[in-house]
Amino acid sequence: MAALNFTFEPEVETFRQEVRDFIAENLNAEVLSDAELGLAFGPKSRGFVRKMGERGWLSLTWPERFGGRNLSAIYNYVLVEELNYGGAPGPGNAGAVVAPTLIRRGTPWQQEFFLPKIRTGEIEFALGFSEPEAGSDLAALQLRAVPDGDHFVLGGQKRFTSTAHCSQYIWLAARTDPNLPRHKGVSLIIVPIDLPGITVVPLWTIADGRTNEVFFDNVRVPREYLVGELNQGFAYIAEGLADERYALIPVGQTLRQFEALVDWVRGARRDGRPLAQDPRVRQAIARLACEIEVARLHKLRVLHQHTGGENANIASSMSKLSRTHTEQRLDSLALDLMGAAGQLCRGSPHVQADGWFEFEYRASVLMTIGGGSSEIQKDIIARRFLGLERQ
Amino acid sequence: MDLNFTPEQEMLRSTVRDFCKRRSPPAVVREMEGHEIGYSQALWQEMADLGLLGLALPEACGGLGQGPLELTVLYEELGRALCPSPHFTTAVLAAGVIQRAGSAAQRDAWFGRLAEGKAIIACAWLEPDRGCEAAGVQATAVRSGDTWTLAGTKLFVPFAHVADRLLVLARSTEGVELFLVDPKAVGVRLSRLVTMAGDPQFEVALDGVSVPETERLGVPGQGWTTWEEVLQLGLVCLGAQAMGMAQMALEMATQYSKERVQFGRPIGSFQAIAHYLADVATEVEGGKTLVYQAAWTLAEGLPAGRLAAMAKLYAGESCRHATAVAQQVYGGMGFIKDVDIQLYFRRAKQLQLLWGDARFLEERIAASVLDPAGD
Repeated sequence: MAALNFTFEPEVETFRQEVRDFIAENLNAEVLSDAELGLAFGPKSRGFVRKMGERGWLSLTWPERFGGRNLSAIYNYVLVEELNYGGAPGPGNAGAVVAPTLIRRGTPWQQEFFLPKIRTGEIEFALGFSEPEAGSDLAALQLRAVPDGDHFVLGGQKRFTSTAHCSQYIWLAARTDPNLPRHKGVSLIIVPIDLPGITVVPLWTIADGRTNEVFFDNVRVPREYLVGELNQGFAYIAEGLADERYALIPVGQTLRQFEALVDWVRGARRDGRPLAQDPRVRQAIARLACEIEVARLHKLRVLHQHTGGENANIASSMSKLSRTHTEQRLDSLALDLMGAAGQLCRGSPHVQADGWFEFEYRASVLMTIGGGSSEIQKDIIARRFLGLERQ
Repeated sequence: MDLNFTPEQEMLRSTVRDFCKRRSPPAVVREMEGHEIGYSQALWQEMADLGLLGLALPEACGGLGQGPLELTVLYEELGRALCPSPHFTTAVLAAGVIQRAGSAAQRDAWFGRLAEGKAIIACAWLEPDRGCEAAGVQATAVRSGDTWTLAGTKLFVPFAHVADRLLVLARSTEGVELFLVDPKAVGVRLSRLVTMAGDPQFEVALDGVSVPETERLGVPGQGWTTWEEVLQLGLVCLGAQAMGMAQMALEMATQYSKERVQFGRPIGSFQAIAHYLADVATEVEGGKTLVYQAAWTLAEGLPAGRLAAMAKLYAGESCRHATAVAQQVYGGMGFIKDVDIQLYFRRAKQLQLLWGDARFLEERIAASVLDPAGD
């Protein structure tokens, strides 16, 4: 029977502790050295992901016929949140985006070939969606996949293909029929990254990280790699976002940053007096604390709706808005509280909090843009939740 | 983990919503602004008949024995309709104090009458130029034999002019005490304040007022502890009230933006307006969930001081923001008194200021987060 309850079942809490113990045992500086923006990971963190695969953690919600445990999405939520909270590598695009779509839409061959490798954490996929002329307006994408016998020939360019340099495959959105309306002539194709004609060019970010442009010059990919049906790419992407959105933007890191800020404030002194006693600091921390808690609760709303079988799209949009803007405000406030020392980077004499907030201030710029910009999220809420017409 | 209310709680919600539609439409809200009494007897009686006055009072005393979650549902609906009544001061604060600190005789004397709508108790807490913490209580209470003498000034006392008793916080040599004072006693002088919502709040001047010991509540010197406990529940109720208000303001502004046409299209189809409303919608869902969590925490008997303060602070600000955005969306017409949105705008700000202002709430939260003992 329905009744408000903000706790999880004991089995879920047991699992949460298992994940925390795993992180404590296996997360180290070497694994962390790969981390870029918390979205991508590289060869050094692969071992960490493989160990999760060994425990079946990369396939918790999969049907049993694919080697999964058919568990509730709550387990995935707890796993992703704890990993994010602990600053650890997550399941990646393979687990969050590709596997659910292959389970739903993949051909039998694709399911047999890819799912076991995703389950064990062996392979990662870079998302090949955006292009120079297709960001928020993804339907404007132009990269062509021309049928040629039992292959497709790919030609064009992707941008912001962030993990292309450490993935084995690209999960590619390509235009297979230029005569259909923009969002209907697109297909999802899996592309092995080592095919001839693919060039990966790094783009270096202000978050000391890397994303990529990927150029496709007459790349021949076998038809078997077409996911599901031709020209259904947009529908699959939309479907995937509806189901997996809760996994894509965890709030754990935001919560951890708030804790770190509180710790820093508690230890800081100005002119011999604790900064934590300054009324202006207390006010700012109090207000931020409310926003942090609300960001956490927005995520619970997503989980509640998703596990209840409802479409959690709107809740996801709200959750992303809440978490990303709150984190940006947190990072700016942290530097304000540090004063001039806030500008110092990791490694500098007199750096504060290991330069974490200075780094996050830069890194958080992307959060309100990638994965569906705040403006797009607000459009979704306005149109689909409030019923307002589009302009 | 479940964010749904029980079917019974949902039924309570629709009962109250229906009651508010009949008894507290905007015409009534307007009528009560500046009104001599400030609430409708018919409204108050029906509230009593529906069990809403004794909602959280023990069943043995004529109440419904419900808890913080049910009060939250009630207050969300009262907020949605801006329902003017002495419910908060009487049925939440005063009833809560008597429940926690009252002797058996005091509970017997008041619970039945409170639940039936036959008595009103107005809480007299804040003082001029004094804050919301215990140190702000400077009105004095001096005991001689079995009689106390009270002196001082209280402000923002709601419905004092129709109250059977004033619940007064005053300071003795042992600490803060709680008294039930007859407003008609010698030495009590009421002066009505003029507020931004036209509701009846009073300055209460206490000049050598005699109060028998039998009208003092609880353990001597422990009045502040009781008041703080009750205030926690009060803050959650007011958070719910704010969210009900905010939700309604959002609905009104959204509807207006679909009807108002400029440049050949509904103004809601312009991104600036659409995005304002999307932001408000996000804050409303987040604020509601925070209030629900605070109420649930109280209902579970878990420590709720931080969450209660957060709920009122965040809900208050979300409500203020929602109504400010709504005023913007309504444009020039929203500035005209005949249009209802201004009823929400004024009350939203007022709600932030009453029963624990932002400074007080921020300090409570900061102490809980930053200070060592606050963990």
